[in-house]
Amino acid sequence: MSVEKFLFYVFAAMLIFASVMVITRRNPVHSVLFLVLAFFNAAALWMLAEAEFLAIALVLVYVGAVMVLFLFVVMMLDIDLSEMRAGFMKYLPLGIGISAVMVVELLMVVGPAYFGLDKYAAPAAKAADYSNTEALGTLLYTEYLYPFEIAAVILLVAIIAAISLTLRKRPETKYQDPSKQVTVKKEHRLRVIKMEAEE
Amino acid sequence: MAFDTTQLIPLLPEIILLVGVSLVLVIDLMVTDKERTWPFMLTLFTLLAAGCTTVMLADGTTQVVFDGTYIRDPMSDILKASLLFLAVPVFIYAREGLMKSGQWRGEFMTLTLFAILGMMVMISSNGFISLYLGLELLSLCLYALVAFNRDSSKSAEAAMKYFILGALASGLLLYGISMLYGATGKLDFPSIAQAVVGKESDIVLVFGLVFVVIGLAFKFGAVPFHMWVPDVYDGATTPVTLLVGSLPKIAALGLAMRILVDGLGELQESWQMMLIILALLSMALGNLVAIAQENIKRMLAYSTISHVGFIFLGILAGSDEGYRAAIFYVIAYAAMAAGAFGVLIALDRKGLEVDQLHQLKGLNEKHPWLAGTMLLLMFSMAGVPPTVGFFAKLFVLEAIVSVGLTWLALVAVFFSIIGAFYYIRVVKHVYFDKPTDDVEVEVGGAAQVMLAINGLAMLALGLFPAILMNLI
Amino acid sequence: METIYLTIVLAPLIGAIIAGLWRNQVGKAGAHWVTIIGVGISCVLSIYVLLGFTHGDAESQNLSLYTWMVSDGLRFEIGFLVDQLTAMMMAVVTFVSLMVHIYTVGYMAHEEGYQRFFSYIALFTFSMLMLVMSNNFMQLFFGWEAVGLVSYLLIGFYFKKETAIFANLKAFLVNRVGDFGFILGIAAIAMYTNSLDYAEVFEKSAGLANEQITVFPGTSWSLMTVICVLLFIGAMGKSAQMPLHVWLPDSMEGPTPISALIHAATMVTAGIFMVARMSPLYELSETALSFVLIIGATTAFFTGLIGIVQNDIKRVVAYSTLSQLGYMIAALGASAYAAGVFHLMTHAFFKALLFLAAGSVIIGMHHDQDIRNMGGIRKYMPITWITSLLGSLALIGTPFFSGFFSKDAIIESVHLADRFGTNYAYYLLVAGVFVTALYSFRMFFLVFHGNGPRDEHAKAHLHESPWVVTVPLVLLAIPSVVIGWFTIEPMLFGEFFKDAIYVDSANDVLAHMGEGYHGALGFVVHGVMQAPFWLALGGFLTAWYIYMMKPSIALDIKVRFDWLYTILDRKYGFDELFQFVFAGGSRMLGKIFWKGGDQFLIDGVAVNGSAHGVGWLASVARYLQTGFLNHYAIAMILGLIGLVGWFVILQ
Repeated sequence: MSVEKFLFYVFAAMLIFASVMVITRRNPVHSVLFLVLAFFNAAALWMLAEAEFLAIALVLVYVGAVMVLFLFVVMMLDIDLSEMRAGFMKYLPLGIGISAVMVVELLMVVGPAYFGLDKYAAPAAKAADYSNTEALGTLLYTEYLYPFEIAAVILLVAIIAAISLTLRKRPETKYQDPSKQVTVKKEHRLRVIKMEAEE
Repeated sequence: MAFDTTQLIPLLPEIILLVGVSLVLVIDLMVTDKERTWPFMLTLFTLLAAGCTTVMLADGTTQVVFDGTYIRDPMSDILKASLLFLAVPVFIYAREGLMKSGQWRGEFMTLTLFAILGMMVMISSNGFISLYLGLELLSLCLYALVAFNRDSSKSAEAAMKYFILGALASGLLLYGISMLYGATGKLDFPSIAQAVVGKESDIVLVFGLVFVVIGLAFKFGAVPFHMWVPDVYDGATTPVTLLVGSLPKIAALGLAMRILVDGLGELQESWQMMLIILALLSMALGNLVAIAQENIKRMLAYSTISHVGFIFLGILAGSDEGYRAAIFYVIAYAAMAAGAFGVLIALDRKGLEVDQLHQLKGLNEKHPWLAGTMLLLMFSMAGVPPTVGFFAKLFVLEAIVSVGLTWLALVAVFFSIIGAFYYIRVVKHVYFDKPTDDVEVEVGGAAQVMLAINGLAMLALGLFPAILMNLI
Repeated sequence: METIYLTIVLAPLIGAIIAGLWRNQVGKAGAHWVTIIGVGISCVLSIYVLLGFTHGDAESQNLSLYTWMVSDGLRFEIGFLVDQLTAMMMAVVTFVSLMVHIYTVGYMAHEEGYQRFFSYIALFTFSMLMLVMSNNFMQLFFGWEAVGLVSYLLIGFYFKKETAIFANLKAFLVNRVGDFGFILGIAAIAMYTNSLDYAEVFEKSAGLANEQITVFPGTSWSLMTVICVLLFIGAMGKSAQMPLHVWLPDSMEGPTPISALIHAATMVTAGIFMVARMSPLYELSETALSFVLIIGATTAFFTGLIGIVQNDIKRVVAYSTLSQLGYMIAALGASAYAAGVFHLMTHAFFKALLFLAAGSVIIGMHHDQDIRNMGGIRKYMPITWITSLLGSLALIGTPFFSGFFSKDAIIESVHLADRFGTNYAYYLLVAGVFVTALYSFRMFFLVFHGNGPRDEHAKAHLHESPWVVTVPLVLLAIPSVVIGWFTIEPMLFGEFFKDAIYVDSANDVLAHMGEGYHGALGFVVHGVMQAPFWLALGGFLTAWYIYMMKPSIALDIKVRFDWLYTILDRKYGFDELFQFVFAGGSRMLGKIFWKGGDQFLIDGVAVNGSAHGVGWLASVARYLQTGFLNHYAIAMILGLIGLVGWFVILQ
């Protein structure tokens, strides 16, 4: 067994292990951390497949940005674990049963019989100076220009949607408006009341 | 392929729409007007401009640009044009409803326009990548729109369900796409079509096909992937339900045609059987459960499910006649659904949505115009001649009978008869029952005129179905 | 040409829509102007089209405008077939309709529902034009039913009157019987020729002439006979032939203008038009033609007899219409289609005239329609009197009047025809001439001559009707008098209908007659020497003697022939027969089916049972929608597993 193959199995096993842990941990913070581990392993697998750019991007974007944000959210929210667990045991047998059937069905197709190495030979290794990044970039801006543009639109929509769902003026909240603060005049604050002098 | 700007010509409708929506987005920030007249006018103008451009570009030819990721053909022309033109009444009704409930915000226009852009991308996709991106663009907008009424926990719940189930369905679709990619090594439909020749019973292909069909079925809302439909229809505010319930069906048909016919036409034997199962389940469950509904939005949700069954029948016929019938059906259906929700919106009062069947009682005494419109729409949905719904059903049935699936046609007719019950019950409420309250119906002029046109169009297209059929 | 045809059809429709839907906006004057203009346009263009055929070199045109749908090779189209026959019908329909429109302005001036009435009659004109201009059976059926609908609406125009409701229901039901046969006939045509287009059907029908079919087990029928008889049953309903004639007298409950337009001049002649149009089919079946002949002749004589004892002015004219329709039908049965259509045309003018004149009298009498209360009206209403006289003279067949030519041609052609039933028909038709003269002039004398109205109050208010009423009378009187003289030659013996009507050369009695024809004058001279003329004169003199000289005779006859009077007064008991035997019987049958079949089996078991079943299923199925997200997701996964299992694992 070559080193690559050995590494592949190690990373793959860890990936599966980490994924299982994500959905079985009681503490959501632990789950998030296992998810991070899973991403690292996935990145490693891509690295083995010589997809360096994607591997780095995965770590940078998902681990570096998304997951950190996610962690913040999970830690800030007060999640009642016992409530979330309540239905778990009730549905567990059914869930296991369904998963088992699913797995069996999947294995019957997605196995060596149809996806073995004899069917899909490994592609020839690229030269050492082959730039993955450049190839991706070239493809993205030529052949996949149209999907790329749509992806940009999707991001725009995501921003609009997020703002539209969260930004609102709450009438009961007090907030400061600097422009009003600086343009304030004496008359706004001060009222001169004339009164009869009392004897 | 070297890029030259003439490649942009077929994309003009999409470009116009994108420019329009960007302008709406910016202009909307500057208006203080509660009615948002300017952005609204611009929205309508954008839709009409894009629609007219589509019509002008339609010359019966097929153009593939952007390295095979984009296609413009007669089918995309008719679907897009009907999409864009039907969006006009949708916006007019939605504005009426949102103004009544005080939620008329600029985001509705931008998100809806983006959703329409997503639908157009789907219809014009020539490969799985652009198809999937279009689908996500559409879905993302719809998720946000379902939660548009931010003060309603019902809306939030519906949006959440929709989002999670949608993500699950997207996952299944992507998995299927990856299987197909694995089996063929291609992502664009023409190449896939070539690659699958002679591999009709390839197990990996069929396996992928199952997942892809499930993704489709979810988008359409076919049983058993329909669970989101009633909750979303009911949970979302009516103007959003109006949108969700009408236009995306046209896009979903485009999606189905691209994948099943353009890409996997060779596997027709397999997908035909799958669609038969889905269609039968949808017609049976949709029609039966609709009867038990007291909430008219839920009732229309189940009615959608049953109509999806009919649309599937047209596709699964696998003949040109069947595809045309399906296109005819889906356009007619989108118009009917838009009208039906439009009537509900017209009945809404300030801050109170009409969603119970009994609230329609005695409508004829309160507002004969709306009652007449509702009558035409319900008859059309039930398939009563001479409305367009009758011909939609007839063309579909003709198509499946001519490919030898007479038994299926009989079952479809049987369920339509059951379905007629709940449509006609609405008519009964509208015309033969006494009103339960004496609240006046207040409806804006534009919406009222549009509704009347909508209702009469159902009749006109029923009298002259060839007007639409000849375009397809 | 297409535009012209479309304009002819659509102008009245647009008028009807405007007057109907925006009746409050356009007001009374707007309603009559818009419909009169619409029908006027149609009329002018129709006459233009007709002139194209008579004086120009217009070709007959067969245009398909719009394919409504194609189902299994059967094309449902909207199209126009315009040939000489159609052009003539168009001109007659639109001209009479225009006259009636104008007349109505005066007649309905003070009635409620003024706009509604104009909307209906314009709609009728549209429907009738669709019927006559059709080039296929579907559109024919559409027009057929549409005129029936408008007729139903107009008979029940005074919908608050019990008798009007009864009459329109009766008309509707009796017409259903006819339409049932008609649509069966069309269905048979569609089944055997797989086409609804006239031209195609006629082309294919020749090949089906010897086809035999089995309707009831063990019997063999000629296909063409079955088709023609079925179609003719439709015509019997619409053209009120015995025994389906009972609705027409009752239809007089409607306002008089529509009695003139629909129930005398146009709609009721649709059956005659249809048979003439279908002449290529009828020529293939001797049996069917004999059937037509016998029905027509029977109607012509026996309904005329009833007319003698009627006292309601409109009913007398109605029975006269029935009788005249019988003449036309008899002509068709003798293969003298052109003669039937010729009589249709002349009759349209003089019968519309008689009805409108009757209406004028009714206006004068303040809606009293009993002729026994009238008399001496001549003094008060001179124009009505003279036009009525002209109309009556035309009706009884006075030489040189239009009715003379057409009626003589019919009797002569039946005489010459050689098929089963011609002798029977000939004698009845000849006897009918006497009857016609008798009832016509009985009415004429009772209304216009003798002592003035008994009611002094009515007498005081009696005066001539306004010009909108009298002008149409005069305009209709002109063709009533002269049109026969000018058109007999081209229509009966010339080439006018050569392309439109097909007659087998062996049956062509008109051609046979034409051999002895030497101009209209010769026809008159020949006619004066025949029995019908003398019989008509006899009828006239009898009427004059009885009702002018010795009114006591009438009473005397009535007492002496009480049994005959009773039979006639009861109209041979058709009404009773239908009401008690058919209506009562079907009601009883209906009750049995209703109680036993409907309420128990269908409602109880089938509908409510299945409705309950469906309702139960529905209520169970709705519980699938639990509202829980995980249930939904599981449903999706189960669906996935199921599909994968079925298509991947099991294959």
